Parts: sequence; structure tokens; C-alpha cells
Amino acid sequence: MVDDDPVVRSSCRRILEAEGHRVRLCASAPEALAELGREACQLLLADVIMPEFDGLYLIGSVRRSSPDLPILVMSGYPTPETIASGQKMGATHFIAKPFTPEELSAAVARALGGRQKE
Amino acid sequence: MNPVVYLSTRFRLITSFLAMAILVGGLSLIVGARLLTASVFNEASNRVRQDLNTAQEIYRSAVDRLTLGLTLVALQPEFRQAVGGRDQADIASCVGTLADQLDLDFAGLVSPEGLTLYRSSPRPGDPASVNPAAALALERRASLSGTLALSQAELAAEDPELAARARIPLVPTPMAEPRAESEETAGLTLACALPIYAAPDGASRLLGVLYGGVLLNRNNEIVDRVRDTVFQQEVYRGRQVGTSTLFFKDLRIATNVLDSRGQRAIGTLISAEVKRRVLDQGERWTARAFVVRDWYITAYEPIADVNGRTVGMLYVGVLEAKYADLRRKAMLVFVLITAAGMVLAVALGSLLSSRMLNPMQRLIEASHRVSQGDLSPEIGPYSRSELGVLQRTFQEMLGSLRDRDRHQKAESELRLLQSEKQASVGRLAAGVAHEINNPLTGVLTFTHLLLKRGDLDAEMREDLTTIAGATERVRKIVKGLLDFSRQSKLEPQSTDLNDLVTATIPLVANQALVKGVLFCFDAGSGIPARTIDRNQFQSVLLNIILNALDATQTGGHIDITTRLALTDGRQGIQIAIADTGHGIPAEHLERIFDPFFTTKEVGKGTGLGLSVSQGIVARHGGSIRVQSQVGKGSTFTIWLPLEGEVL
Repeated sequence: MVDDDPVVRSSCRRILEAEGHRVRLCASAPEALAELGREACQLLLADVIMPEFDGLYLIGSVRRSSPDLPILVMSGYPTPETIASGQKMGATHFIAKPFTPEELSAAVARALGGRQKE
Repeated sequence: MNPVVYLSTRFRLITSFLAMAILVGGLSLIVGARLLTASVFNEASNRVRQDLNTAQEIYRSAVDRLTLGLTLVALQPEFRQAVGGRDQADIASCVGTLADQLDLDFAGLVSPEGLTLYRSSPRPGDPASVNPAAALALERRASLSGTLALSQAELAAEDPELAARARIPLVPTPMAEPRAESEETAGLTLACALPIYAAPDGASRLLGVLYGGVLLNRNNEIVDRVRDTVFQQEVYRGRQVGTSTLFFKDLRIATNVLDSRGQRAIGTLISAEVKRRVLDQGERWTARAFVVRDWYITAYEPIADVNGRTVGMLYVGVLEAKYADLRRKAMLVFVLITAAGMVLAVALGSLLSSRMLNPMQRLIEASHRVSQGDLSPEIGPYSRSELGVLQRTFQEMLGSLRDRDRHQKAESELRLLQSEKQASVGRLAAGVAHEINNPLTGVLTFTHLLLKRGDLDAEMREDLTTIAGATERVRKIVKGLLDFSRQSKLEPQSTDLNDLVTATIPLVANQALVKGVLFCFDAGSGIPARTIDRNQFQSVLLNIILNALDATQTGGHIDITTRLALTDGRQGIQIAIADTGHGIPAEHLERIFDPFFTTKEVGKGTGLGLSVSQGIVARHGGSIRVQSQVGKGSTFTIWLPLEGEVL
């Protein structure tokens, strides 16, 4: 899970760990790429707007190395343009911030479920 | 196609004036010239006729003088004695003295038998040849005096010198009747012959006939006396104004008409026409005639000899140039007056046309300026003619044009202000949304996680629920802000607006049913499909219908009508949504399209709905207007031009 805001990071960890997922937190795109290099995962949850390297850069890089990895994009500025450019770079799902625990769980389930269906 | 030729009114007016001036001037010029010519030449002819009378008088006085001189000699007793005695010396003395005193060219005495007893000439001719005047007096036994033509022989009998003097070589003259001979040898004379009787009573025995005379050939005394008496040496442009001539038949024998060399024109001939009229028909004749080398106003009188035969003519003439110049000068004055009249006509024409047409010209210029966008052109002072009415009407028309222009400017300024407002709110919203949503995620997450715990007491649960509700509200506000700020691309597609309304009503039908409000949709006919973003336009309709529903009490109704309508002269589609709700107070009417303006209670509306709706309609080239009456209801009217850009 990648977000530059610690509040969002801890929120996500609390929700997803309560659901029984194992969550690794990263504060930036380079950090996430390094983490992914160390160990594979089943879902990438990424913010779009981040300082220096943004979420779109991250999605693009990840998509090249792991074409099948589901990517759930989240954004506090959920305009159609943002969503469209995320999809173009390889995001599979989208969720707008802020969200309730139920909404995030449902979105993660959908992303993983799509993956499992494939 | 023929090109249309526009003749300026100014040109026509001036031309009319000019034509009138030319007509009047030209007519008076022609009439004036005729009158002038007639009066000048009448005057000149009258003068010449009088002058001819005077000339005749002078000619006659020359005869009288001759007669008187001879009579005086004849009455002398010594002379009669000498004649009676045939005393040659005494006769010679008396007649010679007479000839000397009277400056006679010939004089003599003839015996009753018809022999010339004495001739005053130093070279007397044959005594048997008798002077014709004397012969006539002898025959008639009576005195005679007057004009008499003598042949060369008769002249030579008096004095060979006289015959030589009488000879005049003929000068060929244009317009004259040519003569066969090359010189005139006969001579015209003034002659007198008196019978001398023994006693002065005239009844006694005839002693002889005294005769004497002067040769008129080359004798300019009479003509010069006429000239000096009548014309007093008047000179015009270096020429004698008056001339006089003595003709022997058609030949000038004494004259002061000068030829081209400045010599007296003796030897030239009269023109054929004058010869015929005066010599042949014996008439007095006055006319304009060409004399030797100039035009003259002339008068001719035939001269009869002692036998009553026409033998010559007396002529006087006045140089025509003097009168012609007089006439020419008068004509020049006429022409100048006419020209001045024409100049005046043009000046008057242009002055009048300027006064009449300048306001017109200014109006034309003003309408050009108006067509180029200047709505306050200068049209000059109001004319006092009918044009003034036109000017006033033109000004009034400009006034209404300016009013309309001002109105349109104000409206577009308002629209600009609104879109600027919207844009700045949009930028703010985007920034705020991004910054707020992250912490909001934390609040939502942890509130909901806390609520899931089973060890909470009722009060704590209630407080957490309040936090969750409030946070939801914040989430909605931020979402509204984002929606408002979003200038997402429209996805236009051809849509039947009646269909769209029909498809939209069911979406709110449940809410209306619950509230007890009736929907009426009156779909206009003949409304063409139009390219719009169907989803966004539906959200506009929904927004307005939901607002209407909120405002309307149970039992009220909402009427939706569509029809074609003109706005600002353009054809378009109009959708009117009228409710019977509580209406909007006047002070709110101008602000209802402002972002965040709402009259709904806290938490029920963001105040962005109408603002967003207006933005969408505006991007379709249309407009939303509202009319409202407090307590009776409001009508929102959406108008879309038939053809319009979709931004």
C-alpha cells in the first residue's frame, strides 16, 4: 500500500489487517518499487498524487514488471480525467478518498476477486 | 446586368440652374443681338441717307455757283456790247476773267449761227465744233445748267489738255461688271450755258451763247467738301469714317475712298449689283456694301444730266467697322452678363444644394458609421425642412440601438463575472478537496472502526455516530465542490429533448408521489433533435425538478413544457419547469445561481446545484432564467439555441 500521508497509510492498514490481509506500507513510489522487488504481492493499493514520483509513474513501472498484478488506485481528487489516466497506465480498479472501512473492503475484494476470476 | 448609375442630386440641381441660365442668357443674347444689329444699322443707314442729302446739296450748290457766275457776266452791259460788236478782245477779257475767277475748266462763246466765237483755253480747238451745252442752249433758246458728259472729242475741242486730264485708266475691281475698254476717255462735267440777248429783257435779238463748266474727272473738290462738311474728318482706327464718291457711269472719277496703297481709288468700278439698281433702274439705294477694301454702310443717288439721262452717281458711305465694333462691344457685354449669370447659377446651385443636401450627406455618413459600430455619430444640426423629421427619427433609432447595446453589454458582463466566479471557486475546490480528503479518510476509518467495537456504551456510540454523520456531510460538501469545479469534457450526442424529459420524470416520480405533488408534461411538437451531453443535461433537469419538488407543498403541481422559442432573435428550444411552490424572494433571485448560495437548511444542500446547472447549459450555448412570485411559485426556463457550439 503506497501513500505519502501517514493517516491514510495507518487507516488502510487497520482496515485491511482487520480483514485478515497482510499489508506492507510504503511512503513513496521508489520505496514501493524496492519493496515489490524484495517480495511479490497480490494487490497494489496506490495513491495518485504524491510528491516527486506520483502514482501514475508507479503504476506504469509496476505494470511493466508485473503485467497481471491487480492495481487499486485511490485519489482524493477523483475527476474522470484522473480515473481515465490511471486506467490508461494500467490500474484495474478505483476508489475515491475519503472512504469508509466497508467501501475499501468492498473495493479490495472486487480487485482481488477480478484477479481470482482471471 | 446594367450597372445602376447614380446621378447625385447636387449635380442635377446645378445642371438645372445652369440650363436655365443658358436658356435665358442664350435667348436674350440672340434677341438682343438682333435688336442691336437692327438698331445700329438703322441708325447708321439713317445717318447715311441724311449725309447723301447733304452731299446732293453740295453738288447742287456747285452747279448753282457756276450758273450764278455765268449769269453775272451775262448781265454786264459791256459784255453784251462786246458780244454784239463781236469785239474779240473784250470778249476774251470778260470770259477769261470769269474763267479765272470761277476756276473753270472750259468757257467760251458761241454765235447764234453755231460757230464758236471764243474759247478761254490757250489751245482752242475747231470753231465749228460747238460745246454740247451751248448747242443745247442755242437750240432751246434757253439757259441750262447741270451735269453733262462730254466725249473725248468734245473735250479736246475745248482744250486737248482737258481731254488728257479726263482720261482714267480702269482698275480691275472684284464684284464689278467688267468693261471691254481699258480706259475711260469721256468726261463728266458740270456745265452752264446762257443765251445772251441785245437787251436784258430776253425778247430782243440773240447775240450768242455764253457757256462754261468744270471737268469732274479727277476733281475731288466736291467729294472732299462733302467729307469735310458731313464727317468733319472723323477718323476710326486710322481710317476715314465717312467717304464720298462721284461716279461717271460705274466708274469712280472723284473719290476719297482709298485703295490698298492709300491712294484715291479713282478708276475702280462699282459692284455689279449697285450698278444695276442705281444706274440701270435709277433708284436711290441704301445698303451695306463692300467698297474697294472695306465694308461700308452706303447710300447711292443717281445723277441725271441736263437731258434727264442717268449718267453717274453720288455716293456717301460710313465705315461699317465703327458700328460693327459698337455692336461687338455691346454683344461682349451681353455675353459677359450671360456668363456671369451662368457662374451665378452654378454658385447659387451649389449653395442651395449644399444647404439642402449637407444634412442628407451627413445622415448617409452617419449611417455608414452606425454600420461600422459607432452608435453615436455626429449628424449635425437639425434641418428645418422635412429632412429634420428624418434626422430626429434617425436619432431616436440610434437611441434605442444604444439602449439595446448597453443592455447586451451589461448582460454579457454579468455572464463573464459569473463564469469567473465559477472558475475561481473551481480552483479553490480542487485544492481543498485534495487536502481535506486524506485526513477525512482517517476520520471516517477510525470512527467506523470504533463503532464496530462491542464494548461501547450507548452515549459513546451516539457521539461516534454523530462524528460519522458530520464527516459524511463534509465528504458530501467536498464532493459537491469537486463536481462544481470539474470542467470535464462534454460528450455530445443527438438527443430528442422531449424523450429526455420523459426519461427523467420517472427518476423523481417516487419522491413526488411520497410528497403528493403532481407532474404535468406538455411536450411541444416540431422540436428537432439537438446535440447535447445527455447525462449532464439530465442532471440539470433533475436538479431543477428536485428544487421545484422541495419548494412545492403537498397538493401542488409541477408543469414541464417544451416548445420552440425565440431569444434575442435566435430560434431555440425552451424547457420551462413551473412549480406552485413558495416562490423565491426578490432579494434571492439574483443570487440563486451563485455557488454556495442556498436557502435550504444546513446539510440539505451545498448551494452548488444551480450554479453547476447554469455552467452546463451555458457550455451548450444556452441560458437559464428564473421568474418567481413569492407564495405562487417559480418558473425556471432553460433555453438552447437550435444550432449551437457545444464547448
